[in-house]
Amino acid sequence: MTEAPAAAALATAPPARPPGMWRQGWQRFRRNRTGMLGLTLVCIVVLVALSCAWIAPYEPNDQSAMMRFGSREGPTWAHLFGTDRMGYDVLTRVLYGAPTALAVGIGAMLVASVIGILIGGISGYLGGMADELLMRFTEFFLVIPVFIVILAVVRLFGIVVVGSPLESIPYLNLMTIILLLGLFGWPSIARMTRAEFLRLKEMEFVEAARCIGATRRDIILRHILPNALPSLVVIVALGIGGAILAEAMISFLGFGDPKAISWGQLLFFNYEALKVAPWASIAPGSAIFMTVLGFNLLADGLSDAFNPRLKQ
Amino acid sequence: MGITRYIVRRLMFSVALVLGVSVIIFTLINAIGNPVEILLADRPGITQEAIDAISRYYNLDQPPLIRYFVWLWNVVRGDFGTSIVYNQPVGDMLFTWGLETMKIQIPAILISLVAAIFIAVTAATRQYSRVDFGVMSGALLGQSLPGFFVGIILILVFSYWLGIFPSYGAYSTRRMLMGSGLIDGLWHMVLPVAMLAFFNTATLTLLMRSNMVDVLRHDFIMAARASGLPERRVVYRHAVRNAFIPVLTYLGILFGLMLGTAPVTETVFTWPGLGFLYIQAIQQLDYPVIMGETMIITVMLVTATLLTDIAYVLIDPRIRLE
Repeated sequence: MTEAPAAAALATAPPARPPGMWRQGWQRFRRNRTGMLGLTLVCIVVLVALSCAWIAPYEPNDQSAMMRFGSREGPTWAHLFGTDRMGYDVLTRVLYGAPTALAVGIGAMLVASVIGILIGGISGYLGGMADELLMRFTEFFLVIPVFIVILAVVRLFGIVVVGSPLESIPYLNLMTIILLLGLFGWPSIARMTRAEFLRLKEMEFVEAARCIGATRRDIILRHILPNALPSLVVIVALGIGGAILAEAMISFLGFGDPKAISWGQLLFFNYEALKVAPWASIAPGSAIFMTVLGFNLLADGLSDAFNPRLKQ
Repeated sequence: MGITRYIVRRLMFSVALVLGVSVIIFTLINAIGNPVEILLADRPGITQEAIDAISRYYNLDQPPLIRYFVWLWNVVRGDFGTSIVYNQPVGDMLFTWGLETMKIQIPAILISLVAAIFIAVTAATRQYSRVDFGVMSGALLGQSLPGFFVGIILILVFSYWLGIFPSYGAYSTRRMLMGSGLIDGLWHMVLPVAMLAFFNTATLTLLMRSNMVDVLRHDFIMAARASGLPERRVVYRHAVRNAFIPVLTYLGILFGLMLGTAPVTETVFTWPGLGFLYIQAIQQLDYPVIMGETMIITVMLVTATLLTDIAYVLIDPRIRLE
């Protein structure tokens, strides 16, 4: 998701022009080994998410292993990661967890980015009283125990919707979690946007744009925002990993979507059988670890690539 | 601006914040309707009169706004109401279960502080060496390892395979381990504390190392070295003190994070603390406990942030109050 603008800029940039911000960033990023490792991990997750229907050895709801192997069967050639207590193939379920994880990470960060950039942008560009008010509001969201509040909201909202037309929305519970993670995940984006806007609006090129009579909309959308994006991309990459982890924890506690296959959900179902079937817990746990690590390393590499002066 | 005015302003903001959170949770609880009706919906033979009587007992027949202020007034007087499920005063429950939570969180943060300082100093004084690289990669990996997965692995290895530590609870119910209550309690604490300390150490080490690398470049370190002080003294006396200041402010954030994810930690180890109580309360719609807990956790979190901020201002004279 966050790679898309970078890729587009690479494809369309004519060779005669001096390398732009994104291309320079990519050239530095390519030499960063941890960053590339992160990118590789993220690419693997994305590929699995796109192709899980073809590469998974079984159907996700196939419990026929109960007939031949039985539940909680250790890893064999037929079931590489074993089967869990319901006779599901663990490998298949883990593969099918990838699209859910990405949907949560990207969905939550889309919501968070829209709110965060809007609030941070207004705050940083206008300054004064608006800035003061919005930053107090942001601080409020930064300090509240987000995870605790989200747990309560997910549970209580699940009761409120019973019998209402909202109930017909597919994966309603998962949608709620994504929306909540977005609604509570924007403060760091808002802070970064504000800081970047404060820095950039005093720069000479913005001054120049103002002098030639560019409209305020043009200044914000074409001059300030594009230059703020590299810093935001780093925060968003970190946020995607954070959102995936948060969803895993919510599902692990039993408040996830029972219809969606997610790694946290798998841990919730299989954790009580940890002693007899450890593979059913280790596989989804490792999947969460790999994905979160991928996004963290990616963010780390991006931050080094876009802010080379900060690197130590 | 004086320090007193700064503290007063922060205190006012904190109070507003705590009230805000309680309003959010209260509104949500009221949105689901009468909890008594929901809890008794599937029970046959419950008459409307009985539901009304129970609702009256919990003041549920009053309009929400009045109930909120009654609740707030009672909280100010130290009365958090009575748990619907346990039929015990919520204040006492929060205290006993809260102590259990603190029992694993405070040792975890102290251990990780000491470990992080030691590891970070070792790495930073050998910048770009193999040790440094190893510490950095280990900390980066450790930071991405989900805490509850670490807990699951710890249980698998140390409880199930090696059989050294117990996998759940804070005490043994039948026979105490090694015949002593104290050792029994400590033995149960090992795995949860290890899990929390693992994550904290990784985060604090990364922060401390980058601060150390930064501080060691300063002129006053060179001056200390030039004056002939032994290297140990330069590093531990002069550099660590300065590198520690940002770590101190981060402690508040880390403590908040630990408290916020206590439900996960305590579910993994079936630990009888605030997080475990919270999960039970929201599953059973024990709304006085939900209200009391969110309140207490927010207050603890805000206090931790406040204390670290004040400590930061007091320790570092370069910080200007705004």
